[in-house]
Amino acid sequence: MFIRIILSYIIGYLKISVEGYYIERFINICKTNNIAIWNLKRSDNTKLIVNLNVRKSDFKELCKIAKKVKCRVKIQKKKGIPFLVHKYKKRKIFFGFLLFIIIFLIISSNFVWNIEIKIEENQEIENIEQSLDEAGLKVAKLKAQIDTKDIINKVRLQRDDIAWMGIQMKGTNAIVKIVKSVQKPEIIDENEYCNIVSDKAGIITKINAQNGTANVKVGDTVNIGEILINGWMEGKYTGLQYVHAKGEIEAKVWHTKNKKILYKTTERRKTGEKEELYAIKFNNFKINFNKGVSKFEIYDTIENENRFKLFSDFYLPISVIKITNEQVEEISKTYNYEEAKQLGIKQLQQELDEEIDNKEKIVNKNINVVEEQDGVMVSVTYEVLESIGTNEKNVF
Amino acid sequence: MNKTKKNKRNRLDRILELPQEVYSNVPKIIITGFDEMIIENFKGILEYEEIFLRVNTHIGIININGYGLNLENMTNDDIKITGKIESFDIERKQD
Repeated sequence: MFIRIILSYIIGYLKISVEGYYIERFINICKTNNIAIWNLKRSDNTKLIVNLNVRKSDFKELCKIAKKVKCRVKIQKKKGIPFLVHKYKKRKIFFGFLLFIIIFLIISSNFVWNIEIKIEENQEIENIEQSLDEAGLKVAKLKAQIDTKDIINKVRLQRDDIAWMGIQMKGTNAIVKIVKSVQKPEIIDENEYCNIVSDKAGIITKINAQNGTANVKVGDTVNIGEILINGWMEGKYTGLQYVHAKGEIEAKVWHTKNKKILYKTTERRKTGEKEELYAIKFNNFKINFNKGVSKFEIYDTIENENRFKLFSDFYLPISVIKITNEQVEEISKTYNYEEAKQLGIKQLQQELDEEIDNKEKIVNKNINVVEEQDGVMVSVTYEVLESIGTNEKNVF
Repeated sequence: MNKTKKNKRNRLDRILELPQEVYSNVPKIIITGFDEMIIENFKGILEYEEIFLRVNTHIGIININGYGLNLENMTNDDIKITGKIESFDIERKQD
C-alpha cells in the first residue's frame, strides 16, 4: 500500500468530491472499469459527498461514469509531481538557477579542490607540497588527469625521505598519506675492518685504543674527519694485520656562540588591538569585503582559510578567508656598554645551556667581549669533555 | 459432467492444501482489532454510509454497523474498511 501511494504521487493524483444519489453504483462501476480509488470517505456535512483519490489518467473515464450515474464531480486538490512541475513551469529563473547549481556541482566535482597531507606519527617533511605540485597533483586539476601511480613514482624518485606514499581520492579531496623513512646510521659489522674517525673538532684529553693503533696523542688538536685510531695492528712477528678498530677517545670540544648586541634596538610588542577582515576566494580569484588597507600603522597579519565543503569530502572551490590584523607597537630602547654586555652574555649562555645536555662535563667557560661603534660583540665559548669518534669503513 | 469436474478439482485442492479463497469465490473476512476489516473476494458495494455498509459477495451479503466507516483501500478483489465497527451480520443467499 505504501509503495502504491508513492507510485501514485509520482504519477499524480486528484482528491475529488462526488455528489449524487447513486454513490454505490458509482463505486461499483469504477471497480469494474479498473479505476483505482482509495480513501473513500463520507463527508460529514452533506451526506452524499464522497472523497476519493484517483489517478490523473483515469479522471476522464471517471467523469464519464459520473455523468452516467448523474453525479457531480468536483476537484478539491491536485497532488503529485506532474502538478508540481506544472506549477513551477512559469518560474523560469528559479529553475534556471536550480539547473545552474546542479551543473556547477557536477562540473566542480570533477576537479580536485583540496589536498590533504597526512604524515604518519605527526612528523614533518619539508617541501612536500612543492614536490607534489611538480609531480602533477595540483588544486583545480581534473580528477581524470591525475594518475596517482605516476605521481607516487615521481615523488618517490625525487625524494629519499619517504618510505611509503599513497594517494586516495575522496570526493574533491585528495588525501596523501606518507610514511617518513627513518635514516638509519650506517652499521658496520663487527668482522669488517674499520678506522675510528673524529666527528668533532677538539683537543684530545684521553685516548685508549682497545683494538688498532692510536694515530693521535693526548694534547693533539683534531679536526672533523681526522683518523683517531687506525684499523690495523703491527706486530713484530705477525706483520701488518687489519682489525676492527675499537677504543675510547675523550676530547675537549668547544661550543661557541656569537651575538652582536646593538646599543639602540627596537622591540615589537602587541598592543592587543585586533581587526578582522573577511574575503571570499574562488580558486585564485579573491574578493575583499573590506578596504585593503588596515587602520593600523604597524601590524602583523594572520590569514585563516576555510574551504566550503558538502558532506565530509566534497570540497568546493569557494573559500572564506579571515584576516586578522594585530596591532604592534615598536619601542626603541638604548643600552649602555655594561647593560648590552650583560644581556648578550645572558642570552648566549641560555642558548648554550640548552644545547649541552651534560652540565657536569663543562670544563671551562670563556667570555669574550669586543666593543664596536654601534654595539657590543659578545662571544661565549664552553669547553666540554665529550667522547668523540665514529666508525668508518676501511676501503682498500 | 460439470459436477464431476468440480469434485475432482476440489479433491486435488484438498490434497495440495490450497486455501479456499484462492480457488473459489468464497469470501474471506479478516478483522484486526475492532477498527479494521478486510474482505477478500467481494463482488460490489450495495450501500455505503458513514454508519452502515453493505458488501455483496458471491455467497451472500455482509452488513457492517459502526461509526465513521471509510473504504480505505479498494482493489478488484479485496476491500479494506476502517472505522469503529460495532457489529456485523451475514445474509445467506438462498440457493
